[in-house]
Amino acid sequence: MELYFWIFAAMAIGAGIFTVTARDALPSALGLLTVFISLASLYLHLQAPLVAVFQVTIYAGAILVLVVFVIMLLMTPEDKLAGEQKNLPFRSMGAMLGGVTLILLALGVRGVYCMVGEKALSDGFGAPKLFGSLFFNDFLMHFEVVSVLLLVALIGAVYLSKKNF
Amino acid sequence: MGEILIALIKVVFIWVWVLLCAVVMTWVERRGAAMIQDRPGPNRAGPFGLLQPLADGIKLFTKEDIVPAKAKKILFMLGPLLFSFPAFSTFAVVPFGDKFVIDGKEILLQVSNVNIGFLYIVALGSMAVYGIILGGWASNNKYSILGGLRSTAQLVSYEVPWGLALLAIALVYGTFSLRDIALAQSGTFLGVLPNWGVFKQPLGFILFMVAAYAEANRVPFDLPEAESEIVSGYHTEYGSMRLGLYLFGEYVNIVTLSSLITTFYFGAWHLPYIDMSAFLGPISYGIASFIVFFLKVAFFLWLFVWVRWTVPRFRYDQVMTLGWRELIPLGLFNIFVTALVIQLTA
Repeated sequence: MELYFWIFAAMAIGAGIFTVTARDALPSALGLLTVFISLASLYLHLQAPLVAVFQVTIYAGAILVLVVFVIMLLMTPEDKLAGEQKNLPFRSMGAMLGGVTLILLALGVRGVYCMVGEKALSDGFGAPKLFGSLFFNDFLMHFEVVSVLLLVALIGAVYLSKKNF
Repeated sequence: MGEILIALIKVVFIWVWVLLCAVVMTWVERRGAAMIQDRPGPNRAGPFGLLQPLADGIKLFTKEDIVPAKAKKILFMLGPLLFSFPAFSTFAVVPFGDKFVIDGKEILLQVSNVNIGFLYIVALGSMAVYGIILGGWASNNKYSILGGLRSTAQLVSYEVPWGLALLAIALVYGTFSLRDIALAQSGTFLGVLPNWGVFKQPLGFILFMVAAYAEANRVPFDLPEAESEIVSGYHTEYGSMRLGLYLFGEYVNIVTLSSLITTFYFGAWHLPYIDMSAFLGPISYGIASFIVFFLKVAFFLWLFVWVRWTVPRFRYDQVMTLGWRELIPLGLFNIFVTALVIQLTA
């Protein structure tokens, strides 16, 4: 089953590189779609079908569709995205930030492994029922905080797009 | 090995069956249109023109495959594939009958009874839009892009009431498994009515139905291919079998949506007031449940045709107003009432 992981991990990374390097807008968006679907496949592999389905529904089915919608409104198929930035300080800062993110991710993975280790899966792991009860009992606070955050973003978006109330 | 073989047989069987339904639907559509418009329709090929779909298929396959010079070639070829793939895949979780019992072994008439079947449908339903977007964009033609834009906006808008109606169904039955939802609809409701979803969720049914017509790009919501305005929208530049895949995918979509309506709101394979399993043998019961299911589906398929040739097309702003200002508030209201009733009666 390791092969399964490597196939989709490679697919996600390859598609990710394609997304940031493609000069055509829509193929770039499709690269992102491939990333989302490979990640969903990895979630399936991790016994989390519900998360996989949410990944496809929300990211691929809603958010990316909006991105594509904007591309279609603002560009024609002939338009190209701007090429590489010539600004050296900005590019080196970006590279540094990328490196820091990579280190943080590695530390995070290490931390999770130290805390959780290799445990057998509990009964009904990944089932919608268990997921829901965990969500609305143990993690209700976190859930509410995130929803308030989203509400703030929503109000902000309405305010920005509608200056004259 | 036996399990895999059975699964394989089920996959091939339902795939061929859905294809067949879609093929017959192209004939029903044309004959139905003719009937409603008081003209004979295609009646030359075979009895009642039944061989017409075959002739159409041969024609589409043997036509020259033209890719416009300015089109984005790879995307252009990918479009129809991406459109028909979700249409075909949704049937993996739809129960198309109850079960066979052979040598004490139960064979469910469903390809895969997963506990997230419900969400799988929602996820695949949201993927269908990419085929249309790709087709419209890759054609590099103003009508195609307009059609693609319209369809993106329309599909995104109507997925919301669609999902809200589904959510209310999940509340009522307390499960995400389509088979469990179907099983829960036997017997009677309030003593007199059949225990079908439509009686528990009348508003939800209407919402689902309207949203389903919009999701399938059917009249009165066929804005993405409004012939009188934008030639035929996203598939203007397509020809031969690529066009065939788009047209065919639409019929597969209709078959899938009709099956979902039957499963969620019309008791799947259950007959009202009669329990078929009580007096039929294990094998004949399986066949009977399959037939009952598809008779119900056939009615909704006919309804799609009926509506198409009876109702005029909406204006674009009307589509958006209906989606956002009417259906979504109604969907939220429906969920609220459903949750309230469940809370009070539990």
